[in-house]
Amino acid sequence: MAEGWSGMRGITAVPTYVVMQPTTLCNLDCAYCYLPFRSDDRRMPVEVAEAVAASVDAYARTGRFSVVWHGGEPLAAGREHLAALFAPFGAGVEHHVQTNATLIDDAWCEFFIEHQVRVSVSVDGPEPRNGDRVTRGGRPAYDRIVRGIDALRRHDIPFSALCVVGDPRPGLAAELYAYFLDLGCEVLGINVEELEGVNLRANRHTAADVTAFWSELVAAWRMDPRIHLREVEWSLRYAGAVLDGTADDVLPRQLDPIPTVAQDGSVVLLSPELAGFHDRRYGDFTSGNVLTTPLSEILAGAAATPWIAEFLRGVESCRETCPYFGFCGGAHAANRYFEHGRFDVTETDHCRNSKIRLLEGVLDHARDHEPTAV
Amino acid sequence: MPEIMSPRPSEDAGVDPVTARVRDARAGLAALIDEAEAARRHRAEGTPEDGSAVCAWNHFENIPTFYNWNNRPR
Repeated sequence: MAEGWSGMRGITAVPTYVVMQPTTLCNLDCAYCYLPFRSDDRRMPVEVAEAVAASVDAYARTGRFSVVWHGGEPLAAGREHLAALFAPFGAGVEHHVQTNATLIDDAWCEFFIEHQVRVSVSVDGPEPRNGDRVTRGGRPAYDRIVRGIDALRRHDIPFSALCVVGDPRPGLAAELYAYFLDLGCEVLGINVEELEGVNLRANRHTAADVTAFWSELVAAWRMDPRIHLREVEWSLRYAGAVLDGTADDVLPRQLDPIPTVAQDGSVVLLSPELAGFHDRRYGDFTSGNVLTTPLSEILAGAAATPWIAEFLRGVESCRETCPYFGFCGGAHAANRYFEHGRFDVTETDHCRNSKIRLLEGVLDHARDHEPTAV
Repeated sequence: MPEIMSPRPSEDAGVDPVTARVRDARAGLAALIDEAEAARRHRAEGTPEDGSAVCAWNHFENIPTFYNWNNRPR
């Protein structure tokens, strides 16, 4: 089937969401962060939000559409400025924040409720697992993170969580899952740390360790599946489709362009991690600026950006050569670039850690836990 | 089982090795998939209008808060 997968051909001109950077500033200085400029407070002018809204309000009229406020730390922009950035968007647009939670208090919770903001927090498990999440002064941020999450719980605001795992191995997954059950998140995503952006730490791990990590996570989840666990859900969805003979329907037909709009209005497609970087061969990776070109026009011409044309050739190489393509959809652009320096390569360490070994771990668990015949 | 790092013919002619491996795990997977479906119903993921952090299953690939799977930001 490897050469026959029909999804992920080209880029759709209509995204399902846009990532917005209300400020470059983050009040934390996590060791693995990929973002440049995160010590600077460069705020997005309202004119940028107005320009984006002019295009995306039309998308929201024909389907579900969301704005993900990312950063830096989006709450570092302040409630007043964030509200001003929300204002140009129509009522049909959903707003999401990905936050380190350290600034969340009762006033922010009231803001989330008033603006119907969906909240996802970043926390890496129990306190000792958060050693990389530190303040600008180098002090542990965990107490502040927990205070923010406590505020969400006090206000009955449902939340998701993202957990970065730097060293996936057996023994860790069960601990993490138990922690997030207790934390009370509804959705959980596990991000194995990646080599990208300004984070140059290696992400190569022993295959057996990573596979066993995922297998153990499935076992832990299965004992109490209250959490929508992104990696398990997707793996089982794919496996079920293979067994039903519908595996080719799983991938989206085209790639979502995932426009990231930086604070200055510049647009980077497909991989927000490329924003703010410059390469002798590829330039600054931007495909335009919403202050001078409508977002819809930028998206319509996406494939004309040289690095994106090269990336699309890379996706086709993945399709032709990788037996996991139907599950994965192709290596992510930022991983190709930051690991290999170009976009038409195929397999990355991120592929191995977060796609290949994930599926193998789920299959190992299934193989080792067949129902007992009666 | 080691990772399958390159396509190679499986014993099931015309089937790629990952598909073959999934099929080999059918019995265990079927039980797991049933449990996942029951868990989804218990979490009431079919009601995207309820303000929950969890979006409807049929919108899964559109969950934007970094829960997209394919070509997602992290």
